[in-house]
Amino acid sequence: MDKSFRLQRFTQYGIFLAFALICIALALSTPRFFTIPNLMIIGTQVSINALLAFGVTFVIITGGIDLSLGSMVAVAGVTAAMFAHPDTYPLLVPLFAGLAAGVFFGAFNGFVITKSKVPPFIVTLGTMTIGRGLALILSKGRPISNLSDSFNFIGGGNVFGIPFPIIILIIAFMVCSVILNKTVLGRYMYAVGGNEPAARASGINVTNVKMWVYTLCGLLSAVGGILLTSRITTGQPNAGAGFELDAIAAAIIGGTSTSGGTGTMTGTLIGALLIGVISNSLDLLNVTSYYQQVVMGIIIIGAVVLDSMGKKDR
Amino acid sequence: MKYILIAALSIAIASCNQSQKSEGGENGSGKKLVVGATMLSMQNEFIVNVSDEMEAKAKELGVELITVDAERSALKQVEQVESFIAQGVDAIIMNPCEVEASSPAVKLAMDANIPIINVNSETSAKPTAFVGSDDTESARIAMKYLAEKLNGKGNVLIMHGFMGQAAQIKRDNGAKEILKANPGMKLLAEQTGEWDRAKAMSLMENWIQSYGSKINAVFAHNDEMGMGAVKALEAAGLKDKVIVVSVDAIPDALQSVKKGALNATIFQNAQEQGGKAIETAVKAAKKEKFEQEVLIPFQLVTKENVGEYLK
Amino acid sequence: MGTILKVSNLSKSFSGVKALDNIHFELKRGEVHALMGENGAGKSTFMKILIGLLAPDSGEIIFEGQELRNSNVGDTLRRGISMIHQEILIIPELTVAQNIFLGREKEISGRKRWASGWLNDISSDKKAANLLQEMGVNIDPKAKMKYLSVAQMQMVEIAKAISNEAKVIIMDEPTSAISDKEVETLFKIIKDLKTKGVSVIYISHKMDEIFEISDTITVLRDGKYIATQSASELDKQSLISMMVGREIDHMFPESNSEKGELALSVRALSKKGQFSDINFEVHAGEILGFAGLMGAGRTEIARVIFGLDKQDSGEIRIKNKSVINKTPRQAIENGIGYVSEDRKGLGFIPGMSVKDNTTLASMSHHRKGIFINKSGEEASTTKMIADLRIKTAGMDQKVTYLSGGNQQKVVIGKVLLASPEIIILDEPTRGVDVGAKFEIYKLIRSLADKGIAIIMISSELPEILGMSDRILVLSKGKQTAILTSEEATQELIMKYAVA
Repeated sequence: MDKSFRLQRFTQYGIFLAFALICIALALSTPRFFTIPNLMIIGTQVSINALLAFGVTFVIITGGIDLSLGSMVAVAGVTAAMFAHPDTYPLLVPLFAGLAAGVFFGAFNGFVITKSKVPPFIVTLGTMTIGRGLALILSKGRPISNLSDSFNFIGGGNVFGIPFPIIILIIAFMVCSVILNKTVLGRYMYAVGGNEPAARASGINVTNVKMWVYTLCGLLSAVGGILLTSRITTGQPNAGAGFELDAIAAAIIGGTSTSGGTGTMTGTLIGALLIGVISNSLDLLNVTSYYQQVVMGIIIIGAVVLDSMGKKDR
Repeated sequence: MKYILIAALSIAIASCNQSQKSEGGENGSGKKLVVGATMLSMQNEFIVNVSDEMEAKAKELGVELITVDAERSALKQVEQVESFIAQGVDAIIMNPCEVEASSPAVKLAMDANIPIINVNSETSAKPTAFVGSDDTESARIAMKYLAEKLNGKGNVLIMHGFMGQAAQIKRDNGAKEILKANPGMKLLAEQTGEWDRAKAMSLMENWIQSYGSKINAVFAHNDEMGMGAVKALEAAGLKDKVIVVSVDAIPDALQSVKKGALNATIFQNAQEQGGKAIETAVKAAKKEKFEQEVLIPFQLVTKENVGEYLK
Repeated sequence: MGTILKVSNLSKSFSGVKALDNIHFELKRGEVHALMGENGAGKSTFMKILIGLLAPDSGEIIFEGQELRNSNVGDTLRRGISMIHQEILIIPELTVAQNIFLGREKEISGRKRWASGWLNDISSDKKAANLLQEMGVNIDPKAKMKYLSVAQMQMVEIAKAISNEAKVIIMDEPTSAISDKEVETLFKIIKDLKTKGVSVIYISHKMDEIFEISDTITVLRDGKYIATQSASELDKQSLISMMVGREIDHMFPESNSEKGELALSVRALSKKGQFSDINFEVHAGEILGFAGLMGAGRTEIARVIFGLDKQDSGEIRIKNKSVINKTPRQAIENGIGYVSEDRKGLGFIPGMSVKDNTTLASMSHHRKGIFINKSGEEASTTKMIADLRIKTAGMDQKVTYLSGGNQQKVVIGKVLLASPEIIILDEPTRGVDVGAKFEIYKLIRSLADKGIAIIMISSELPEILGMSDRILVLSKGKQTAILTSEEATQELIMKYAVA
């Protein structure tokens, strides 16, 4: 086994290794880290970012990008909150309304991107602002509070001692993994991101694939938005600002290449967990958030450097 | 450039309206007074409340009010004030984004002989007048409340706003002042929650992991964060043992105080700040006598008196 | 003629696999030295070591009496070794002159040292103009690179090498994307370089060219040095047998397929600026060759039939039913398969596995509802790997790691799995080594034998003549002849191709 081969192996599993090492280091430095309640809290705190990261992983695999995640979180959250006051509608109504808002928003992204041929970066930069505006319009600039207990259960409740957000996270992870690995749609995502003209020449309806991808991303953002709204028991129009960056970071740390064609849901999950674990433990160690940001930046760049080293090695 | 255009447009529209109604609020030449207002962020509930009251008061006095949103950018705010000056407004109300970075706007207005009134928070440059409350005082009230409840002994956590903003610095100063005066109160940890409810909730969850039952009280620099802390404490079953107090008295927080979840909030009077700002601006524009510093006192809101503040 | 470059005992391995094993190579001043070998023989690795892109494991390289050691691309360039890559490396938004002098702006600015950071476009344009004129090519130095043809870009690259005072120029498949006329210009320039004492290492798969231009030929096979001989002492047959290690007597398989039903007919097909009034028919079991020069409109016709582009007028009929293929998807549903000339651009997805690529166009046969039918997919791929004799480490190997010929087979496999009745093969053997070429010919013939109608576009006349039952000749977007295989000769095709 020569050096280059070992490096390739390392980059393949590097993220898992790095994650494991950081966890061990943290467990040694603070005894409070490796406790069941703390792990539950990390899971809950990670869940929203992970959901968005799953969505954006689909998008990045097809070679696109979605900057409107955070705004979709706000739109879906506010929409759901509008229908979630106690004794007004049954629980399904706010859920459906929130999800529908996300799906509609995502589909709109997909529609503009496929019809206009404007790069997704620019389109979603625009819809990011549109979404923020919509959330402010819908809520008239004020948080929507006084939500029903059943709605608040989604973000705050437990089932058999497991926080409900973690259960949603696990289900979403499994569904997204299946979509990516076991369905024709997932295969087509890799094809479109790997070489779009060749995918088209292979008879793949590229427009369709992109519509699906952005819609899925909207749906997952909406789930995240509903979770967030329920967790803080208010629909906040300015919620989710900057979330897109954390989600994209999670996907990239997890090995999804921004040039498209590669990426896995497991990697993205680890990426999201890594971000969550670091901010949790730095809080536990009472490190100021300034240093947290520096550490996070180093990890993102490190992950991408590792990724490009793996590529050069071919 | 864009803002100048928008300002020009809004003034053009405003002047169309003026010709129809001519009651009150006129300056010497019989034209309706125009006041330009630039607000820190229209995504912040408290600021929206201030702005709404300004709007109402302006209508009452028959003054044309142009309100623009600086979106937390001091640069944008300075540009907005520049365009107000270019349009020749009669007075400017500024809700500053930053202590230092928004100061050039004050100087510009003063040089152009247009009265400028700072509302809610301060700049390092001295404006024509200041209308607002002393943030240091709000933290003093909050911490005194905690000291009283804990009988001067206990472990306290402090959640800061965005580090480096005037409100954060002043609230921190006030809090530390009271802590020093009560040696029995120990600061367990402090960290920023960036004014954000979800962030504060995560921070509180992590603190609970670190300090658990050692925590006796939490002071949050604003209600959003206070609400987040309450949520996390409730989920951990610790709310009964921990006193939480925060600042602003937003409707959500008042509801929470009423329910007995949030122990206290500090009422900062948005209505009065907004109203007084317009009044002072009009007086200054008409060259009437006005107070250079209008300080609106904070009020402690607890379960006992919350009814007065709930609309 | 003295020796300028001498390579001895050069070895290099990747992940334990020997890519180069004890290579010897000697280059004389002012000679054109062809480097021959099938794909995977080690030519590119060898060249990458020469220009300093890769470091050898052992062996030595003596250039002008000095050993090249631990050198990088910058070093070798400065010493006088330049390479014209197969995929031309240019910056499309810069002008010809700016590209030629890229990285040497300070030297050619003609200003004092302290001011040399200030660009001098006038001086660089003038120098570039002189250079291009000396080469005898007519290119505007002020034109942006992106507006140039592939051949022109190549000339600019050569100009760049000359301006660099290159003593050795390596040309990797320089004629793979240019027309015969342009090849002539290129050869003139090469001969000119020779008289100036510049040595050229020439890599190509085209036999005729090799014999026309080169003085000496070195053959590599499977990373090993086979032989070096003077070109005049060799003939095609012996060169091929040296390259593949065996004799290929019958390059093209016998045609014994029967002409069946009418499969595809095209009536008065036109697309403005590309081709006009194209009429032909292809029957089941028949191979129709498309001959013509670069830019004659052959690929453009194929793209319209396959739904990649839209026609302006005319009709396409499949089995006597009029169809309009708006997208490749519709074309595939109508039974058409297309193997593109642009294998990397339109053929396969480099990051995906052999299996995923092979089944990509036929997912409708490999699905259960929304899910992928994994076992069905694996069965189909296994069959294709066996049928087409695809050399791969396994079906999960990424296609990008395969040789050109095997990549081509994967693309053909992908098209076949969609069970087409008509297949358009566009330059099916471009960049494919000799051994694999023969296999692809056999494969094409066997497809015709199975009753598939085939259109084969090729720029290699022997290939067209050897494979086609009938030949359609195009010239400047117009159809000039349809010849039967009995009457067609190289000369006749050329006559119509330039008509």
